[in-house]
Amino acid sequence: MTERTLYQRLFEPPRINQMAIGTKVVVYGLLLIWSAVVLFPIYWLLITSVKSAADVNGGPVYIPFVDFTPSLHAWRELFVVDYEDTLRAYFNSIIISLAATLLSTLIGSMAAYALARVKYAPNLVTVLIFAILMIITFVSIGIYGVDWRLVIASALAVFFFLMKAVSSRVKIPLKNGDILFWMISQRILAPIVVVVPIYMMFQTVRMLDTHLAIILTYAVVNLPIVVWLMYDFFTSIPRDLEESAQLDGATMFMTFREVVLPLSKAGLAATTLLVMILSWNEYLLALFLSTAKAQTMPILVAAMNAGERGILWWSMSAVIVVMIIPVVFMAVVLQRYISKGILLGAVKG
Amino acid sequence: MTTPENMTPDRPGPAPVDLTWTANPGGPVSQWIDNHARQLFIMPAVLMILVFSIFPLVASLIIAFSRIRLRGGGYQVRFVGWKNFEKQIFGSEQFHFLGTFTQMSVVGWMVGLSVTGLILWWMYKYVTTQFTVVGFIGRLITASVTIAIAFMFAATFFSGNPFGTLGVTLFYVFVGCGVQFLIGLGLAFLCSQQIRGRNFFRVAFFIPMMITPIGVGYVFRMLADTTKGPFTPLWQGLGLKDFAWATDPWAARVFIVIGDSWQWIPFVFIILLAAFENVPRDYVEAAEMDGAGSWQIFREITWPQVLPVAVTVMLIRVIEAFKIVDLPNIMTSGGPGIATESMSLHSFFAWRALDLGQSAAIAYLLLFVTVVICVSFFNLIVLNRMRQND
Amino acid sequence: MSELASDAKRLTISGMNKYYGAFHAVKDLNIEVEPGEFLVLLGPSGCGKSTALRMIAGLEEISSGSLTLGGRDLTDVLPKYRDIAMVFQSYALYPHKTVAENIGFPLKVAKVEKDLMERAVYEAASQVHMEGLLDRFPRQLSGGQRQRVALARAIIRRPACFLMDEPLSNLDAKLRGAMRAELKHMQKSLGVTTIYVTHDQIEAMTLAHRVAIMKDGILQQLGTPAQVYSDPANLFVAGFMGSPPMNFIEGVAGRGTLDLGDAQLPLSGVAEGTKVTLGFRPEDSQVMDAGSGRFDADVFTSEMTGDLTLVTLRRGETHMTIKMPKDYEAPSDDRAAIGFEAAQAYLFDTDTGARLDASLTEG
Repeated sequence: MTERTLYQRLFEPPRINQMAIGTKVVVYGLLLIWSAVVLFPIYWLLITSVKSAADVNGGPVYIPFVDFTPSLHAWRELFVVDYEDTLRAYFNSIIISLAATLLSTLIGSMAAYALARVKYAPNLVTVLIFAILMIITFVSIGIYGVDWRLVIASALAVFFFLMKAVSSRVKIPLKNGDILFWMISQRILAPIVVVVPIYMMFQTVRMLDTHLAIILTYAVVNLPIVVWLMYDFFTSIPRDLEESAQLDGATMFMTFREVVLPLSKAGLAATTLLVMILSWNEYLLALFLSTAKAQTMPILVAAMNAGERGILWWSMSAVIVVMIIPVVFMAVVLQRYISKGILLGAVKG
Repeated sequence: MTTPENMTPDRPGPAPVDLTWTANPGGPVSQWIDNHARQLFIMPAVLMILVFSIFPLVASLIIAFSRIRLRGGGYQVRFVGWKNFEKQIFGSEQFHFLGTFTQMSVVGWMVGLSVTGLILWWMYKYVTTQFTVVGFIGRLITASVTIAIAFMFAATFFSGNPFGTLGVTLFYVFVGCGVQFLIGLGLAFLCSQQIRGRNFFRVAFFIPMMITPIGVGYVFRMLADTTKGPFTPLWQGLGLKDFAWATDPWAARVFIVIGDSWQWIPFVFIILLAAFENVPRDYVEAAEMDGAGSWQIFREITWPQVLPVAVTVMLIRVIEAFKIVDLPNIMTSGGPGIATESMSLHSFFAWRALDLGQSAAIAYLLLFVTVVICVSFFNLIVLNRMRQND
Repeated sequence: MSELASDAKRLTISGMNKYYGAFHAVKDLNIEVEPGEFLVLLGPSGCGKSTALRMIAGLEEISSGSLTLGGRDLTDVLPKYRDIAMVFQSYALYPHKTVAENIGFPLKVAKVEKDLMERAVYEAASQVHMEGLLDRFPRQLSGGQRQRVALARAIIRRPACFLMDEPLSNLDAKLRGAMRAELKHMQKSLGVTTIYVTHDQIEAMTLAHRVAIMKDGILQQLGTPAQVYSDPANLFVAGFMGSPPMNFIEGVAGRGTLDLGDAQLPLSGVAEGTKVTLGFRPEDSQVMDAGSGRFDADVFTSEMTGDLTLVTLRRGETHMTIKMPKDYEAPSDDRAAIGFEAAQAYLFDTDTGARLDASLTEG
């Protein structure tokens, strides 16, 4: 440490980078302890994936080549013996999470942009009529077993009649903020609340165990996050640019594609990464909606609990390691677009 | 037509290129799209939410009031009113959802009555100072739910009885989020200081969020194993060789909170770190010049700037924490008994037992508790803060 | 005017109003902009001039009234079909596009062929001397260069009308003068009808064929710069035009006199008892020895600006500024008189602000 002058010692309080040696030890000590807490499980995961069954079951061994001889049997099983299952799940996961992220980000960004720029004023009366009719429709179909064609046709007729009769006279306009809140609040729904009807719905149209079913479900589950983050981002873009594009003859779609999206790279990258991680790692919905063909990686991980033989720790570790790789890859790719504080803007409210 | 080469750029004048500019209205299809752009931008999201969120929500509500039987490939639905809910709250499933009720102990009465007293006093203060009808109804719901939950804990936990999945879920939410907040805050504060290797810590601390919750569950099961896990020598040293996490209710719950925290501290950390870094350097430097100590600077300058972010991060975490299902399912399968079963898991098990009505009823109870707690949190803390700032 | 002026379009604003809820931002605006004219909308911030411009552009809805350009009704036409180009105060350059892409954007949107577009971009850039920097991004340009790119983007598609919203206000003083001259020259050679919004009266005076002065959403006066300067319609216009602004003294009309308290000036044509504000311009008056002018005042300060000396005098709470030659020295006894010709005095009704059809008489 450089010598401080008498003046500095008397009048300047110590700066953070001139922390007392004791403080320094504590700060770095705490950070290193947490690094160990975070990294040790990862390390254990890595070495377990190269342990033999005997090495795992015989009590803990810690250092490869010293404590035990690493073997690639788990990896071989995964990528040579059962390669069909592994690769299928891997590709399923990649396709589903990429498509769901893309769909969710696209639809969510469009809605967020519209909410940030266009003034909507849906009539609360119409919304209420719609909601009540929807409930009546479901009750009469679901519980009283009335023919669904009849119910839906009459519900539509009543809806349009009431729209003409009531909605056009009584107007209680909702604001954009209400629509935004409605969309974001969907995130409160635990998957378990909606998954059974979604399961029945896809069963009815024979779409269970297809990619599309899972993609659509994931896209909707993550839509609130996209709308929330992107809404905040879009409101921070100066309006001049869009107005200028508008005067230059661009349509709303063109303005969105040519001006707004390129300016939102940072927000899009952060949102994409978050939605990607959430879709990639999702388990419960995938469990309901896939049985064999569309199984994703988390299902494969869970499948390593082979019942009577106990958990195949080595294989499971290998699968988890394999699962982390694409996420890290995406994080590295998107990292350069994400300026710090993207999430911050949205969270500040 | 002139080419760029023989132009005389110094002389301003009309552009010699023959160009009549008109906005291109395109064909009828693109014109229609353009005219309806405002609707087309928002409609996909609205429709998706209606179909995959609102429709299932309503359908689920109907299921919750029904008994469903599988009949030859189809469903037979019978309306049973509040029976599914009654069974959970008062009936044979009460022990599972709320907990086992026997005689209330003295401690139980004390806890229940003191919470009730506090809530009543809070309501009284509200009514006498700033009464509005909507505010009163909202607070009435918050107050009733809080008192009901307090008596649930008073009659179970504080009277020496096991509590059910509602109590377990609340334990995960409040203890888990509390731990995550404190550690995340501490780490973010340390990392916001001028230290070496910040980028390393930042990246390293983020890693747990990238692992699938299922994986986290298994990894922690592996780590906590007292015969094969890495800490085996430690357990043996402590004489706990035969101790199994999964057989002690409290150990199992704490174990799950540890796993959940390990996964979600990074989320709290990364956002609070950004919040800390967003505090203008000048403020801190000005305070240093004025001779403020580190603690004073934190309390007077940094914390007020970080607080709004902290409140929102916690709201997000609380919302997500109510959904917890993967970890207890993998780490303990809800055991021992029902000691670690969250409400989501409870509902999932009911579904697996093909009791769709019960499953939906539990899911709706979960939704109700989540909404009441999150909306109360939002209205009483976030909005209150906003009002104070105005 | 150049040959193109014959293609220029007439812009007619009639009875245009803008309401934001209960707030009446623009009140019954009627302006006829001649083909090829350079019209400046001038006024303090919040006077509704930018709102009026945005209504012409189509960025704000016209609450009532109508707008036509070259005989075509634009009142409910979407901005993209109006054939109007606008230069924004912030320039609104797309930061992710190069200079060439920025200038060519209107043509790209209109799906113009690539080689034609490239040539047009080059020529438009040449007109603003930016042809050498086509590959740069806006962030690599200086303020003046960005301004030129914004202009090039506006002229490339040769619109029927230019709108400019304080385009020079982000430039430093020196550059602003140079750009002003260039802008004027370019508008003249293109002959496109132009509406220019500013709060800077010097810009308005130097650029405009006609100036429209607005206050609180109401058009105060529409005329050539010389008209609004020498024949202001009311107190507001008189006080807004000129630098330093016109001096005002409040008084009451007596029988054939204007009573300023300690001085009486001969006056005709004003009813007795009317509250009258007397105005005179700094450049139309002189500082004289005490007792020899229209009335006396205390010398407050004297500032040499290089080409002249600004003398500020104080009379009660009222400050008045007089332009004097640069070698002028203020009287040593701190007391002086102000003198001006009767014909160069302006009289206003203090209560309504309206110009009075009356004058001081030589006495």
